[in-house]
Amino acid sequence: MEQILATTLRSAAPLVLVATAGVFAFRAGIFHLGLEGLMITGAFTTVAVGDATGSVELGILAAVGVNLVLSALYWWVIGPLGANVIIAGLGLTSIGLGGTAFALGAIFDKRGSIFTDVVLPRPVRGITSGAGVIVSELSILVWITPLIVLTAWVVLRRSRFGLRLAAVGEYPFAARSVGVNPSIVRLQALLIAGALCALGGAELSVGALRNFTENMTNGRGFIAFVAVIFGAWHPIGAALAGLFFGFADAIGIQSQINITERVPREFVLMIPFVITIFAVWLGGLWRRRSLEAEAGYAELREPDY
Amino acid sequence: MTAPSDSASAETPAVRCRSLGVSFGAVQALRDVSLDLVPGRIHALVGQNGAGKTTLAKVLGGLQAPNTGEVHVGGRKIPPGDVRAAQIAGLSMVHQHFSLPPSFTVAEALELAAARKDGRSFFRRTELQRKWQNEVAELGGPTILSTRIRDLHVETRQSLEIVRALAGDARILLLDEPTALLTPAATDQLFERLLRLRDNGVTILIVLHKLREVAAVAETVSVLRDGELVLGPSEMAEVSEGQLSDAIVGPASGADRTVGMAPAAEAAQETLLELAGVSTRESAFELGLNEINLRVESQEIVGIAGVEGNGQRGLVSAIAGLTPIADGSMRLGGVDATRAGPARRRLRGLRLVPFDRNTEGISRSAPLWLNQSALRLVGRHPRRFPLISLRQYKRQAAEAMDVWRVRYDTVAQPAESLSGGNVQRLILSRELAPGVEVLVAAQPTRGLDFSATNFVRRSLRELRDGGAGVLLVSSDLDELFELSDRLLVMYGGRIVARFEAPYDRRTVGDAMTGALR
Repeated sequence: MEQILATTLRSAAPLVLVATAGVFAFRAGIFHLGLEGLMITGAFTTVAVGDATGSVELGILAAVGVNLVLSALYWWVIGPLGANVIIAGLGLTSIGLGGTAFALGAIFDKRGSIFTDVVLPRPVRGITSGAGVIVSELSILVWITPLIVLTAWVVLRRSRFGLRLAAVGEYPFAARSVGVNPSIVRLQALLIAGALCALGGAELSVGALRNFTENMTNGRGFIAFVAVIFGAWHPIGAALAGLFFGFADAIGIQSQINITERVPREFVLMIPFVITIFAVWLGGLWRRRSLEAEAGYAELREPDY
Repeated sequence: MTAPSDSASAETPAVRCRSLGVSFGAVQALRDVSLDLVPGRIHALVGQNGAGKTTLAKVLGGLQAPNTGEVHVGGRKIPPGDVRAAQIAGLSMVHQHFSLPPSFTVAEALELAAARKDGRSFFRRTELQRKWQNEVAELGGPTILSTRIRDLHVETRQSLEIVRALAGDARILLLDEPTALLTPAATDQLFERLLRLRDNGVTILIVLHKLREVAAVAETVSVLRDGELVLGPSEMAEVSEGQLSDAIVGPASGADRTVGMAPAAEAAQETLLELAGVSTRESAFELGLNEINLRVESQEIVGIAGVEGNGQRGLVSAIAGLTPIADGSMRLGGVDATRAGPARRRLRGLRLVPFDRNTEGISRSAPLWLNQSALRLVGRHPRRFPLISLRQYKRQAAEAMDVWRVRYDTVAQPAESLSGGNVQRLILSRELAPGVEVLVAAQPTRGLDFSATNFVRRSLRELRDGGAGVLLVSSDLDELFELSDRLLVMYGGRIVARFEAPYDRRTVGDAMTGALR
């Protein structure tokens, strides 16, 4: 039981961070399908730069930097250049997945995966018995994730910047009519999202693990995307959804350890995804009452005026 | 062009613009417009559709950067296309389309609109509500502040738009067709409010469509035609209504030729469309219908009045077969059509002029000929060969559009290249082709200019006289009074009142606001 709890926290943290990134993008009216790509560039850059400099902080800083550049690029393509948001997002994901795999070969001359010595600090230490062992393995990013979520909530729901962001996503004309440039606000939202994805990726590669593996995000960016929808575009809702998906993942991992003898491995690996699909269906039912998100969807296009 | 009034007057004009020019591609929306607005008065701006009224308002409000010319507010030059600068100079705009995000609470929406000068980045909900309490006091006080914009009545939303515009101490208010969605009573209230604001020294520029409303509220009037200022600002007392409409329409142009309709139905009176106890489910965007009973006979126009959002869209979409009928039944030409799909209903002679012509009435990116002949692809016309002749379709489309005087270059141009009036002609040319038994016309003249409006109204009358039935849904009472043989009023998804001509504006207006049950 304690094992599941701790594993849940560890699986959920990257999901929650990336889902929070997604909430920023969604609220600004962007269906950000590049989350997966930004997550893996974050994971890779942290390992690559962290390994080269020996400093995990520099690694994360570099990861954030790379993602800011990529996010700005994404903004430039979908904004000024007018490309389709979904296609460009998927393109960003492809660049992330392919680019990191290529860089792995080009820089480290390796295929598949690399191990690293850099690792995120673990603030809770010295517990050597029971579940405490796993708790003491939780990285600092896991501990500050709730803080990030709370900050996101305050920024999105209780700040003027949040109001502008929501206006841009829901009804760009409203923003323009009060002198807010929707394009700039979208850029800001995407930059925040990019930075959060870098943290999510870093937690994956040097928080929960100590390596980088090709395609190690393994669809987590998309699950985070689903968590945003499931959480009705609300930072707390998305975080809870992320936590839930982390829980599903944990059950998958734990039962894999415990019951592999009797149940086919593939079936166990399926569990998180089955739960995810079920949860999305449930979320859809529930969300029908909350028009907020639907309004946001409808207003993705600019109203003609 | 009339020269602007003497600029050497003692007072600085509240708004001054000099030789404004705006072009969108090949279209010149504004040509060399110069205008001075004397402070503390109500100025009206009128003109046909596409005359440039909204563009001028947007340029003055900083929402649209002009290609040439400059704007001064209160004596200060405003950088082109800078909404903030215009607001700081004291000029604020109330838009034709609502500008408050629907999911926002009233307090949030006002905070969004407020100028950034009072500077706090973060807020508490209660604090925000306290801050805006006074501004909305007359709209229903503190209770309204936590209401979401989408839950407000259209009149309240309109008032709130004005509150929003005035929130930053605006001294100059631009209103772009604020009466378009309002009932007569609400329009009167709006005008009273504007007069009060004027008395407090606010300068007002109001874009209006109806001369009756101009006469009711304005002190000076200016007329735009084809992007040029052709009259004014002139004192209302000094212009006759005749001069005004001449200025609006311009030198007499060839009147539309009367369109000969080929009536499909014989002259005998029969029920063409009948709804008995029809109810539909409420959807996220539209009120459900509640036990609607109505009949449209041949040779009559039945009007549906009502404030927008009281189920009219649901009614049209239920009749068209786009929304399933949950309860009750519908008959078309005496045959049950409750479960029939849109195509079968159309085969029985149902035709539709939809609410939003640009998204529901045409495919914007498709060529004209395809839009024109779309209905024929539904029909069961005798086919000897399972392929169609594009050349024939194009030729017939061109002929139909010529009859209806659609102005176009080639049948291959995309439908979005047409102006509003021409799009409506295109739709009519398609929907009123032989075979029409019942026409459901939703807001058929909304946003059209005088001559296009007259054309559409005449077409509806001729259609009726030819034996068809017409269900006319409109928010324009003048139009309904003029055309309808009978008038039904919708409120809250029901039909709450039925009237026969002659109509009394006040009684109908009361029924529309639910005062008459």
